[in-house]
Amino acid sequence: MRMEGTFEVGAPRERVWRCITDPTLMVACIPGCEEIAPVDARRYRARVLVEVGPVKARFNLVVEVVEELPFERVASVTRGEEGTRASILSAENMVILAEIGPALTEVRYSSDVSVTGRLAKYGLGMMKKRVDRLGVEFAERFRERIAAGATSA
Amino acid sequence: MSALAHLHRPATIEEAVRLLAAGDGERVRLLAGGATLVAMMNAELVDPAELVSLAAIAELRGIRALADGGLRIGAMTRHRETAAEARLAGAAAVLREAAARIANPVVRNMGTIGGSIAFADPAADYPPALVAADAAVEIAGRRGRRQVPAREFFVDWFATALAPGEMVTAVLLAPPAPGRGSYDKLCRVSGDFAIASVALSVAWRDGACERVGLAVGGCGPRPLHLDEADALLRSGRLGEAAARRAGELLAAAADPLEDVRASAAYRRRVIPRMVERAVAQARAQLEANR
Amino acid sequence: MSTRRPLALRVNRAEHELFAAPGDTLLTALRDALGFTGAKRGCNQGACGACTVLVDDEPVRACLTLAHECAGREIVTIEGAAGAAQALQAAFEEAGAVQCGFCTPGMILTAAAMLERTPRPSADEVRAGLSGNLCRCSGYRKIVDAVLRAAETGAP
Repeated sequence: MRMEGTFEVGAPRERVWRCITDPTLMVACIPGCEEIAPVDARRYRARVLVEVGPVKARFNLVVEVVEELPFERVASVTRGEEGTRASILSAENMVILAEIGPALTEVRYSSDVSVTGRLAKYGLGMMKKRVDRLGVEFAERFRERIAAGATSA
Repeated sequence: MSALAHLHRPATIEEAVRLLAAGDGERVRLLAGGATLVAMMNAELVDPAELVSLAAIAELRGIRALADGGLRIGAMTRHRETAAEARLAGAAAVLREAAARIANPVVRNMGTIGGSIAFADPAADYPPALVAADAAVEIAGRRGRRQVPAREFFVDWFATALAPGEMVTAVLLAPPAPGRGSYDKLCRVSGDFAIASVALSVAWRDGACERVGLAVGGCGPRPLHLDEADALLRSGRLGEAAARRAGELLAAAADPLEDVRASAAYRRRVIPRMVERAVAQARAQLEANR
Repeated sequence: MSTRRPLALRVNRAEHELFAAPGDTLLTALRDALGFTGAKRGCNQGACGACTVLVDDEPVRACLTLAHECAGREIVTIEGAAGAAQALQAAFEEAGAVQCGFCTPGMILTAAAMLERTPRPSADEVRAGLSGNLCRCSGYRKIVDAVLRAAETGAP
């Protein structure tokens, strides 16, 4: 299942970069994200709650940054499972920042997500709709934070 | 292993609401016919700690006439009963036809209207039929009863206007009006969920359309309904041009899924055809009645 | 703490005592506690119909029915086939409508309930009536033939 999107943020690219690499800020922006904690220089542990109708799933994820080109792009892979249950999630994610103006940055993101186990029995078509909407929600929250002056610098 | 520790069987709605309110919506769930909830428990998609069975609540059962001539369909009424209800005639027949197309005879003997609409699968048969018929949903909670129009009840994929701690107690219909109600579903095999479905409810008097309700199922997060399409069909007297335009409007407003049943593009394509067919059938009947 | 509770079920015209957890389905109670293995566990999702039994003369999916909801009700499995169900068993045999046999108990009990309501169904009515029972061996044709045959012999 592939999700992708693009949104613009009214801030310089360096500042946007610092924000997307700030775990505390990301917790507040990623829908359903309850916790992010660094494990080492390249890895983070995250807990994310996914809700689709009556079904609630809480994933314990490890996000590993596999390539980082400061201010431009970050590639990561995500792996994790849902507690003691059989659902396993893996994803390959890419975020690319493009400077459009001195205070305008374009954020392009894509993620190839695969889910196996009990959640895969639940229509994937609908999960895709749900995930696409999460992307829009993320962009809104991220823009709000930036506008409110959030920065880790 | 299932976490289920208690199966309650309250005798009144008030008691059911009290038991439901003790949970947080995930821990305690209402059990109606079981056709969906027990299947989801078997698949380990939900794992409640307590179930509140509604089977012993007499007030939730059956279909009865209201003082104003309308009908009250109790939440625990089985699809089989709704599909056989002779009072669901004329414009209200849309509901009877939808009930008859749900799954198969055995599941229709188990599943209930309350359970089905509270689950709010947008590819299910009741949601578009209730929207077309402009039915109301009666809801009970800790603060008593309230009514919500079906057009506001379905809010998103598997999400309704029910607040935490609330339950569906009945579906309410206006007094049956002369006219035609129809439900047509395009599906891969008999009894499957809809690729797309069209529910149409037309009330007429003296050869003129009084009220038109048209809704499309399976093509978005909730039943697709446009006041503009209804108005077009009414003022256009169910004519071909009005049907074509209504179908185009609904197809443009659809937000269909891509899934194993069909692509989004296919769904958009069949909506106008299905709308035109349903309207043509209603038009033929209206003309025959003149 | 065990959540299993005593339960009395009336199956095939006899009383049975057992212990069942609140979430145990009727299918689990029938098969695992009482040994009525005629009801089959196919999909456990209500889709295949192999677990169909009669509760108060109406067909239900035993896999979607909780055992504790069935106290005080009359349950019939294929082991207790009588009347129309018995005539159907003979007709299935005569028509060669049984291959692996996994779907057969559900087919027969569903058809028996249908014949109670519609004693002389058309072939289309039989197909619609059995549309919730899947058979992966046959092409359904002999099953429909068998039900029609049973309806004929059972007619007054």
